[in-house]
Amino acid sequence: MHIVDGALSNPVVIAGAFAAAGGIALGLRSLTLERIPAAGVLSASFFVASLIHVPIGPSSVHLILNGLAGILLGWAAFPALFVGLLLQTVFFGFGGVTVLGANTVNIALPAVLAWMLFGRLIGRGSPLAGAIWGGIGGGFAIAATTAMVAAALALSGDAFLPAARLVFFAHIPVMAIEAVLTGFAVLLARQVKPELFQTGASA
Amino acid sequence: MKALIVALALIIGPAPALAHKVIAGVFAAGSAIEGEIGFSNGDMAVEAQVLVLGPDGTELGQAITDADGFFTFVPTQPIAHLFRADLGAGHLAEVTMPADEVAAILGLAPIKSAEVTETAPPSSALSNAERQAIAEAVRNEIRPLRREIAAYKEHTGLQTILGGIGYIAGLFGLGFYLAARRKLAA
Repeated sequence: MHIVDGALSNPVVIAGAFAAAGGIALGLRSLTLERIPAAGVLSASFFVASLIHVPIGPSSVHLILNGLAGILLGWAAFPALFVGLLLQTVFFGFGGVTVLGANTVNIALPAVLAWMLFGRLIGRGSPLAGAIWGGIGGGFAIAATTAMVAAALALSGDAFLPAARLVFFAHIPVMAIEAVLTGFAVLLARQVKPELFQTGASA
Repeated sequence: MKALIVALALIIGPAPALAHKVIAGVFAAGSAIEGEIGFSNGDMAVEAQVLVLGPDGTELGQAITDADGFFTFVPTQPIAHLFRADLGAGHLAEVTMPADEVAAILGLAPIKSAEVTETAPPSSALSNAERQAIAEAVRNEIRPLRREIAAYKEHTGLQTILGGIGYIAGLFGLGFYLAARRKLAA
């Protein structure tokens, strides 16, 4: 999921950096005092989630948790995920500094899309219905992220279809796991802290 | 149905490497440069094409990795060699061997030659062939060690993780403080 330095062409890297800066600016504006702690917690969970390797067959894949961040934060997912990505680059060597913008967009934009599409549906109805929509949103965010990664590679010259298929199929287990995780997280949050979703539903 | 499963397995098969970091290393091996390319989880890059580039970007040659991710390249010029392999899906392995190391392999050894001959006293009765056999054996012996060190370097300790979380807490705490101050002032 983390594209490394040198794998993308310069126009893609520059476009990614500008798009990320725009998203972060929008996110910071929407980040009210009340939502800063939530953003910090989700940033930290994103940072650590990448270390949780889920064994699938002969190898393993790692969690991303961008759908959950998007559903709870909306546009504020941009700065939260950017901080997580930056620290992953510095501490773990995932990705790279020059492609940080492109990686941020690849991971945070699907999160925001998941919030736009499913945020309202998650916030109303019974907690169980909200949890199911949350699960769908969590899976959707991963699927959209794989599509974005493949598109970024395609624009840099990699053949689009093989690259997209490779990334997509590798992440089907992640999609399933994150859908379940996000569903349960929404279920729990709807029961213990329902006001968490009111901002998401009204904005 | 069976064909579909096989096709699916083939598609999914090489993919798990996606979740991992690429590691690459090069070192002198007699008159050649030996290198290895793989992923931080221990999977090696099999039959990957390695481009060898000079410092000015000109192509010096190519190499193909074997089943263990190893490749060899015989240098001809004492310049810096850049080895690059595109492993697909955003994975790019790049490693450089500096000019003086390449020169040492070629036996040109520009500056360090005197020093090297001093530290390695003329061995009593070893022929050139024997010396090479010993060097080969030592290389084979330390290969697993080298791989283990490379894997260990990629290992993330608890301190690193806690450090990262500490940074996040501090950063968002700072943001919280700034936002609160602005709110109090208003």
